[in-house]
Amino acid sequence: MSKHIERVQPGEKIFDWLLLLLSIGILFEAFRIDGGLKLNSAGSFPVGLGLVMLASSLAILFSHRYKRRAEHLHHAAEEFQAFIRDHFKPYIVVFSVAAILYLAAIVWFSFYLSTAVFLAAMFIFLRRGKIISSLIITALAIGAIYALFTLVFRVYLP
Amino acid sequence: MSDSLSYLLMAWLDPSLLGLTALGVLGGIYIGAIPGLSVTMAVSILISFTFSWDINNALALMVGIYVGGVYGGSRTAILLNIPGAPSAVTTAFDGYPLAQRGEAGKAIGLSTIMSVIGGIMGTVVLAGTAPYLSDLSLQFAPRDYFLIAVLGLLLVSSLSGKSLARGIFAVALGATIGLVGMDPVTAQPRLTMGSMELMGGISYVAVMIGLFGVAEALYQLHNLAKVPVKQNVNKIVPPLNMILKFLPLSMRASLIGVIVGALPGTGGDIASLFAYDHAKRSVKNPSRPFGEGAYEGLVAPETANNAAVGGAYVPMLTLGMPGDAVTAVIIGALVIHGLNPGPMLMIETPYIFWFTVGNLALANIFLLIFGLTGIKIFSKIVEVPKSILIPLIVVLCVVGAYSINSNMMDVYWMLGFGILGYWLKVFGFQMGPIILGVILGPMLDESYRQAMSSVGDQGGQFLLSLFTNPLSLILSSVTILVLLSNTPLKGWVLARFKRQ
Amino acid sequence: MFKPLVTSIAIAAGALAFSGIALAEYPDRNIQGTIQWGAGGATDNVVRSLTPYVEDILGTTIVLTNRPGGTGVIGMNHVMRQRPDGYNLLFGAENPELYQLMGLADFTYDDMQPISIIAQGLVVIAAPADSPFNNLSDLLDYAHEHPGELRMGGTGAGGLPSTVHAMINAVDELDVRTVTFGGDGPGITAMMGDHIDFMPLSLAAAGEQIRGGKMKGLAVLTKEEIDALPGVPPITEALPNIADFLPWGPFWGVFVRKETPEDVVGVLQDAYQQAVASDEFTRFLRDYGAEPLNLNGEEAQQYLDNWQSVTAWSMYDADPDSLKATPEALEIPRPAAAKTKAAAEDEAESEAAAE
Repeated sequence: MSKHIERVQPGEKIFDWLLLLLSIGILFEAFRIDGGLKLNSAGSFPVGLGLVMLASSLAILFSHRYKRRAEHLHHAAEEFQAFIRDHFKPYIVVFSVAAILYLAAIVWFSFYLSTAVFLAAMFIFLRRGKIISSLIITALAIGAIYALFTLVFRVYLP
Repeated sequence: MSDSLSYLLMAWLDPSLLGLTALGVLGGIYIGAIPGLSVTMAVSILISFTFSWDINNALALMVGIYVGGVYGGSRTAILLNIPGAPSAVTTAFDGYPLAQRGEAGKAIGLSTIMSVIGGIMGTVVLAGTAPYLSDLSLQFAPRDYFLIAVLGLLLVSSLSGKSLARGIFAVALGATIGLVGMDPVTAQPRLTMGSMELMGGISYVAVMIGLFGVAEALYQLHNLAKVPVKQNVNKIVPPLNMILKFLPLSMRASLIGVIVGALPGTGGDIASLFAYDHAKRSVKNPSRPFGEGAYEGLVAPETANNAAVGGAYVPMLTLGMPGDAVTAVIIGALVIHGLNPGPMLMIETPYIFWFTVGNLALANIFLLIFGLTGIKIFSKIVEVPKSILIPLIVVLCVVGAYSINSNMMDVYWMLGFGILGYWLKVFGFQMGPIILGVILGPMLDESYRQAMSSVGDQGGQFLLSLFTNPLSLILSSVTILVLLSNTPLKGWVLARFKRQ
Repeated sequence: MFKPLVTSIAIAAGALAFSGIALAEYPDRNIQGTIQWGAGGATDNVVRSLTPYVEDILGTTIVLTNRPGGTGVIGMNHVMRQRPDGYNLLFGAENPELYQLMGLADFTYDDMQPISIIAQGLVVIAAPADSPFNNLSDLLDYAHEHPGELRMGGTGAGGLPSTVHAMINAVDELDVRTVTFGGDGPGITAMMGDHIDFMPLSLAAAGEQIRGGKMKGLAVLTKEEIDALPGVPPITEALPNIADFLPWGPFWGVFVRKETPEDVVGVLQDAYQQAVASDEFTRFLRDYGAEPLNLNGEEAQQYLDNWQSVTAWSMYDADPDSLKATPEALEIPRPAAAKTKAAAEDEAESEAAAE
């Protein structure tokens, strides 16, 4: 992804440490299946995979020894700021939160209602206005989904 | 013989069968293109719908949907990086970069031509060698499926991009996801953390939609302001010399597709992965580096997954055993219509075999027609501003994930994997290996344990069995060769060889 | 995006025409049907062939959805969480009767209201065509001399092969290597390639292969020879004591939540009784290797109780360690007739203790 392989991206080390934690967690869960390592049982593969994940995440962490932060980032605080700046731009945060609210709303209200609200709100938000055309696109999209899923395939939408 | 010929041409000459096949292909393309709507689902809905129909009409519609659906998965893979079906995952690797370069039309055109070539090849192999091929496929013991899965896992080296360690981590993560749920042998819950919802496992289509669709949508939010690439829609049908250039590759990929398809238990998804890997290993000078829009990376999986359709019909028509999930449902349809799918099907009702062969060929002709029309409009999807496209993709992903099993749980998993996929993408992980793990993990676990149980849980016996049976010996030799060629060992051996 | 819209509207119009006229009372809208097994399986086949007849009688559409996974736990769990208004049907096989025993879930069919027990499948113990065994006695003799050597195909704990294996073990001894497959289909494929030595299978899955000479039947799980498989001896020929467990087989049924109003249950029961009794469907079942039962109400409940008791106790007697709970703890009564090896021993012991 990055042009300088030897540079780590802001947050990369933390992420790779989290992967190590994930591997340990999976290994722990896998051991609980059989309560030990057996050659042919329900737990053999999960344990094996947990070990592979552990080994490869250690290898990833080890490779960081040869990598440095980007030059203009001098210490951890600056890296953290860069990380926030890159990945938590206001509109990304708003969109992600809206997407999560949308999923929650599907269960509480109906699918079509929450989809319509989500689409209309996001169109207007991301396109900064243009309310009329946003509403028209929303209506078209809802109509297409209704025709295809509810009428033709009789998929039971929540 | 004249009987066979008349059955073969039945679908071509009867207007209603002709029309139903066409309708099936057209419908199949869109079913395949929408993630979450699967051919399996469409065919099983059709069973109730066509209950009172004549069996030939029902079969014609199903064959059409099958052929169209396998192809349709590539549409969304190329245009939006959301594979419509697992067999189109590999198409996204190079197809999406092509669309980002403004060549969406050309990519769809090429994938159409190659799908048709693959489909026709699959049909020819089905017609010519079905009985022999099905005998061969029966020879594959659990240990051989185990070796195939191992061989498949070695593809990780060609899918993991710059960092092999990240690739291996991703494969293991994918395989772990694939194993969540009830253990198939002992019925113990595995990695479910006590949740009832997880007993049935995590749907891999949900994982796929999340990792590709949602992750890509989140990633594209960074490029919101960017003006979408202008699509060149003047050259849609690839020139003849281009098709001829890729013909040898597509023939090899077809062969991979039809054989993998004929094995009960493996289908188009695995076939296309193998074909992609084959292309990557065998093509020395691709049009562009693989993963950045190589035509070869589009040709190989697209031929292979359509060739696998013909392959999947091999065990179904000769033995009554399904070659994949779709043929399993078609067998159900035959049963409901009062036919007896089994080894006697070809003897008692031979017309079913020749009718299907003729119908498959016809469906591929329609695929060529429908595949090449409407490309211009489709390519324009890539030109839709991101601010409209991204919310629509999220909604499409939600509907797709929900319709797999009508379960909100799948939608939550899809979103979860979408967010995880975003971060993995940011930090240099590839999505391909994760899907590879999800597909192959359960197969590896199942076949390994079958093979171990067959030899009475003796590890030594198991290892011995991998080398003492002719078929297994071939597979394990290939596996070892591929392993050696992927490791520094190869350089070492070559260096010593040269010195001498 | 416009072309599909036109076609879809055309198809949609057709679909609407099919759905018929809604009635004023139940059912006044579409009914959701959940199949707890995957598309193309036995449960799916039976349900999809039955549904058109029921739709005709009820005058509504039954929207079928496959929700497979976790030996059917997923599908059943879904229906039990829907509103108990009769608009959510569960189409299931026999497995839920063993959920508590296997520790898979804390519910069984006792927690639901049976609408119809549609049919019972027949079971055949099959072997590859070139197998040295011609009947179950041959196989048992070999297994007694070479314990732990034969490879039996299975479908996992709680599956049909494991239950049949348990029944045999409850009256005799059969020590084999169990090779687990994803279902009947993959097991049959492995058998045709000689990768396993035998497998108990549903007749629906194995009948055609036996007829086509790709496999042979060693025994059918009945007291008498059956018309569908002439020449295959009944299992009681090799194991007379197993008769106490028979008739036994996998079954398929329709269920709703227990709290569903009585009149709704009545409408559904009548519709299903009529549909299952129809000539076409009965013929389909017989061709499919199944025995029509068409039970509802008290009869259905009795059938379920008896099935559960026979199966649970034979599994317990064969290998109590394979279960997560004892049938006793779950208050499943021991079948009155069955006199298994273990039961006889228990009795001898208690008699000895009494003395």
